[in-house]
Amino acid sequence: MIMEKQELIEKINAALAEEFEIDVEDITPEGDIKATLELDSLSLVDMVALVESESGVKIKGSDVAQIKTFGALYDYLTEHQN
Amino acid sequence: METPLFVGEQIHGLIPQRPPIVMVDTLYSATETEAETGLHILEDNVFVEDGRLREPGLIEHVAQSAAAFAGYGTFRQGLPPKLGFIGEIKQFRISRLPLAGEDLRTNLQILGEAAGITLLSASTVSGDELLATCRMKIFIKED
Repeated sequence: MIMEKQELIEKINAALAEEFEIDVEDITPEGDIKATLELDSLSLVDMVALVESESGVKIKGSDVAQIKTFGALYDYLTEHQN
Repeated sequence: METPLFVGEQIHGLIPQRPPIVMVDTLYSATETEAETGLHILEDNVFVEDGRLREPGLIEHVAQSAAAFAGYGTFRQGLPPKLGFIGEIKQFRISRLPLAGEDLRTNLQILGEAAGITLLSASTVSGDELLATCRMKIFIKED
């Protein structure tokens, strides 16, 4: 099922905020994902798995490094929804 | 009748471990995101104590199942198996330690991949009985 972009953003933000124990208001489109979620090399894959599960979009391993901000993540997910 | 992809000593072509520390003996199936492995628990298995496979043996079985899964991927590319490391094990839940003589089957599913680390979920059964589940992160060393 294809979600509207705003619906997708809200769903992803809520899931990330809960999983990584931050306020959802701290997630902004221009925010750096790793810094905001305090990700290290091991927890980065947790973020990817969660986002894939919530969005239904598979993020290629080679694409993960290119996605720096939440805005870029939303764009990627929107573009790759079936 | 089910025909495994790899069985017995063939599995040595997929994993770096060697006897007596080999804890997976069958690769039943493998796709891009999922695999199923097996192990017949012998009485003289190094992880068997008092007739039961102990916790480290179950963990090692899951880890080597993941290694066989990754090894099958490199095998299909005509490459030798790569060294893998366990980065993290979470939510390892064991409902029963299996007895020697039982046949384990473990289903692995890739949940995500990033920066060379793969997050897998694993569930191990004996017959229809769920014995263990966990999440595991593995890092495959690139040459």
